[in-house]
Amino acid sequence: MAGISNAQVHEVREITRIERIGAHSHIRGLGLDDSLEPRKISQGMVGQLQARRAAGVVLGIIREGKIAGRAVLLAGQPGTGKTAIAMGMSQALGTEAPFVCMAGSEIYSLEMSKTEALTQAIRKSIGVRIKEETEIIEGEVVEVQVDRPATGVGVKIGKLTLKTTEMETIYDLGNKMIESLMKEKVQAGDVITIDKATGKISRLGRSFTRARDYDATGPQTRFVQCPEGELQKRKEVVHTVSLHEIDVINSRTHGFLALFSGDTGEIKSEVRDQINAKVSEWREEGKAEIVPGVLFIDEVHMLDIECFSFLNRALEDEMAPVVITATNRGITRIRGTSYSSPHGIPLDLLDRMIIIPTIPYTEQELKEILKIRCQEEDCEISDDALIILTRIASETSLRYAIQLITTASLVSRRRKSTEVSTEDIKRVYYLFLDEHRSTQFLKDYQDEYLYDQGANGQVTETPEMEVCQ
Amino acid sequence: MEISQKSIEYLTAVEKQAEEILTDKNEIIGLDQRRNDTRMGLRHLQKEKPKGKVWMASGPVLIKLSADKAETILKKDQVNTDAEINKIRSDLKVKVNRLRDLEYQSPVPGLTLQPMSGAEMSAINQVLGGHS
Repeated sequence: MAGISNAQVHEVREITRIERIGAHSHIRGLGLDDSLEPRKISQGMVGQLQARRAAGVVLGIIREGKIAGRAVLLAGQPGTGKTAIAMGMSQALGTEAPFVCMAGSEIYSLEMSKTEALTQAIRKSIGVRIKEETEIIEGEVVEVQVDRPATGVGVKIGKLTLKTTEMETIYDLGNKMIESLMKEKVQAGDVITIDKATGKISRLGRSFTRARDYDATGPQTRFVQCPEGELQKRKEVVHTVSLHEIDVINSRTHGFLALFSGDTGEIKSEVRDQINAKVSEWREEGKAEIVPGVLFIDEVHMLDIECFSFLNRALEDEMAPVVITATNRGITRIRGTSYSSPHGIPLDLLDRMIIIPTIPYTEQELKEILKIRCQEEDCEISDDALIILTRIASETSLRYAIQLITTASLVSRRRKSTEVSTEDIKRVYYLFLDEHRSTQFLKDYQDEYLYDQGANGQVTETPEMEVCQ
Repeated sequence: MEISQKSIEYLTAVEKQAEEILTDKNEIIGLDQRRNDTRMGLRHLQKEKPKGKVWMASGPVLIKLSADKAETILKKDQVNTDAEINKIRSDLKVKVNRLRDLEYQSPVPGLTLQPMSGAEMSAINQVLGGHS
């Protein structure tokens, strides 16, 4: 029995999240208090109080499982924290519910049809919670005793004495168990587990009480506590796998080569139907629970009309995840049609969405964000430099200012200073152009560029390429 | 005063529930000890194959009885202990969730699920990338 009482029964799948310092790596959650009121600066989030509160409410409904099959749209100008809010939601949702993040343009691939890519994304964001139960014998080896026949060959028998902090017992061993004990090089003082169903022996490490047995130990020797409680334990582990992962297992039927090919390509719809049937069978037997997750589609205006109508239908499905979308477009053409629509999303889909607007940051908020980013990138910055950076952020864009942090800190390190000063900021400001100055530069020197179409903007709009499958 | 009365009642309820869980855990340890002892005794009987009577400790009393009879008693005992342990384990789950409920925590996810079969689990382990 795993220590149920201390609620450690559910061992979340061990995922080592390796996060590089990305644009939103400083976000730890939505920064709301218990009554869903947004705190001004918290968990890496600054300002955007209305939107954060709205996101918090949506999150609450998601947790209660009431919002499945609905969609949320985060709409706002570039650099107003749409992705940040989505990241915050994913952080706040915890590790258990699946959160799939994709960009709208990711669905255009040559190997997969658009709808297949969307279906996979949808199925990746639906979790199935299942439980694994194993009976194990866990204890510290007190003694291994092997009786070899006098001839040297033949059947060995032996005894294994195991103990926990509470008890000690002797097991009689047959030939097979002895072989596997030998193979694992089990000796007195090791802490081992034996799987009751398979008889598999695994060594967890050496007991602390035996730490002084030898003067020199190998670097790999791991010391563990002598197990507590009963010897024969029941270990229950709860896993959450996504529907897509189960699909993948079943579409790989051709030996182990398929196991390593990684890319699974398209999955037949029959396989999906079978899985759906199996999962609902499990649910009826009480073996599985559905954990609806969140699918986040950034730059949703990149989807075309076919995808939108597919989404429309997919949201109707009983096992649909919550779809959160984000766009920075205003009234624009729906991709794949000649009609215009708000956010580039068809009106019928827009009608199903809960729309959360984000508004541009104030100067004070910009300063706070820049401060947080400086901390995130381990970069000391002087107050004056921060003020200048804030000015740059409000005059050009927040993203540009954030990029200057990294470069400026490199420049300051080059002159062996620990702090980024105004000089460093100025230096990188001249080194790296922002979008406005870059445009200006092009305008000034356009004659010297190739294939220039003239200054008066008579650029014939290239017809947007339709993506064909 | 009324409020403190209420909180005392609440704390009593929580402590009582927690105490029950701890008692159950100890009970399981005791039962497992017994299970192992019976197993060892049984094994010994089967290996030695003593003729005639053997001594058996039943609590504080030592009884002398025939080997066959001792074996049947031990076997029966083993079945009983197994059943008892299983019962306590499944009761524990309910108790843990009740305690969490009292402490205003959400129940442990997936605690009451039926376990997957070995074959199903080995298939799923492929994607979990874990052992076996």
